[in-house]
Amino acid sequence: MTTEQAMARLTEVFRNVFDDDDIVLTANTSAKDIEDWDSLEHINLIAAVEKEFKMRFTVKEVSGMKNVGEMAQIVCERAKR
Amino acid sequence: MIFSSLIFLYLFLPLCLLSYAAVRSVRSRNIVLIIFSLIFYAWGEPTRIIYLLLSALVNYICGLGVGKIKTEWVRKIVLGISLIYNIGMIGWFKYSGFLMENINAIFGQHFPVPEVAQLVGISFYTFQVISYVVDCYWEKIEPQTNPLKFLLYVSLFPQLIAGPIVRYSTIAAEIDNRTTTVQDLSEGLTRFVVGLGKKVILADQLFRIVDNFLGGKPESLTVLGTWYGIILYSMYIYFDFSGYSDMAIGLGRIFGFHFDENFNHPFLCKDITEFWQRWHISLGSFFRDYLLPLPVFGIRNKYLSLGLVWLCTGIWHGASWNYILWGVYYGAFILLETKIGKKKMRKIPLWIRHIYNKLVIIIGFGIFYFEDFGQLGHFLLNLTPFNPNGFFSYFEQMSFYNNLFLIIAAVICTFPLLELPKKLTAKFEWTTPVVSICGTVLSVATLILSSILLVDATTKAFLYYRF
Repeated sequence: MTTEQAMARLTEVFRNVFDDDDIVLTANTSAKDIEDWDSLEHINLIAAVEKEFKMRFTVKEVSGMKNVGEMAQIVCERAKR
Repeated sequence: MIFSSLIFLYLFLPLCLLSYAAVRSVRSRNIVLIIFSLIFYAWGEPTRIIYLLLSALVNYICGLGVGKIKTEWVRKIVLGISLIYNIGMIGWFKYSGFLMENINAIFGQHFPVPEVAQLVGISFYTFQVISYVVDCYWEKIEPQTNPLKFLLYVSLFPQLIAGPIVRYSTIAAEIDNRTTTVQDLSEGLTRFVVGLGKKVILADQLFRIVDNFLGGKPESLTVLGTWYGIILYSMYIYFDFSGYSDMAIGLGRIFGFHFDENFNHPFLCKDITEFWQRWHISLGSFFRDYLLPLPVFGIRNKYLSLGLVWLCTGIWHGASWNYILWGVYYGAFILLETKIGKKKMRKIPLWIRHIYNKLVIIIGFGIFYFEDFGQLGHFLLNLTPFNPNGFFSYFEQMSFYNNLFLIIAAVICTFPLLELPKKLTAKFEWTTPVVSICGTVLSVATLILSSILLVDATTKAFLYYRF
């Protein structure tokens, strides 16, 4: 899977989780850029990304992810579909 | 030893500052701080300092293990050893008696209940070392190879007893190399005196009144008396704990350390979620970073994670059911706010949100105060019109008038007053010398008044010492 493909699918996941069709992701998008992306909603987001890509993040990754670019990179390395 | 005591203010601190200033190298200064920190702790716990040293030793070795070993399964075992040791120590010293009492009550047994005196500051320094070892495991930080530097991190007396829970990454560079600038010294001393004033002039005096109301027979209070007592208790606990944090942060600055803030005027919050972003920030961020990301029973779900965090927040505060109820109570309101959503919450008029959150916070402190559920029940009933003692009595009227100036000062001090001189000097530069002189005079006056009050008082420990 390419980074572009991962970003496109992540965008859909983000739009569903945050219920906002206007979300446009870049590699630098972080919690500061999306109002509802707080530590609690982060858990739901992670669960949705794991479901979409059939993979599991480690606790370290859940806690330490800084932006969407890092998320996409992990997804590309580990996604099963 | 506690900060708000004459022996600390006029013997320990001057001696520590003189010794610190007398040596030049960072290594020597670190050793001075370690020696004084150990004396500070040993003052109250002369023999039990061994547990602090043991904690430093175990976690120093485990930090090195998870940081340096390359084999993943070995790293996991070392992390596991560290977590079992740390949680086991807190469990034994803080919860073993409570746990056994409940086992006996539930199963009708008569197992001997361990009588273990709690270790001062164990919840704070243990959470620090847990964060250190986990951060080493996650490769967020390099493990400290120098045992003395690690001991300094664990035992540093400004934050040893009652927080803030300082992350290793916050002060790692300053442990290696630091300087105290004139600004650090000036702002550190001012911050320390502000904290001292909050504790001695406000918190201790407020507690005197609180004790008269809630500490006697809370079941005999009127509606107004109950509200009066618990509102003052809410302010007491804020000034007591944030005062301690101010003193810790100020002392840190004096020695060249920059700790993160632990309070941000929590009573100005617009909802309960925001209250916890402003109250005991270092504990909230600990749970956010180390507990919230854990799947609960293998399931990743924000509501389950929220429940776990608030259950643990309650348990952390003490071995008593009222603290657990207090944690669950806050978890329920944060769950409610999460369900409503930030956007809809914002649409609620601000005055309604302020009334809502203040009511929740104040009643919450009632749950926090009463360990006895019978008394808690009377307290909750007495807040309502169903109070059998009536609405109002001469008792609270007299107390209010006698303490009017103290109460007004306390309310004013919940606002960010220290921002005012900064804003003033930023806008009108010519006011800088006047503001500086006024600040110095006020600091000296606060120190003198606090000292006078301390001479005339039985030293009262900080509430959070027992956590």
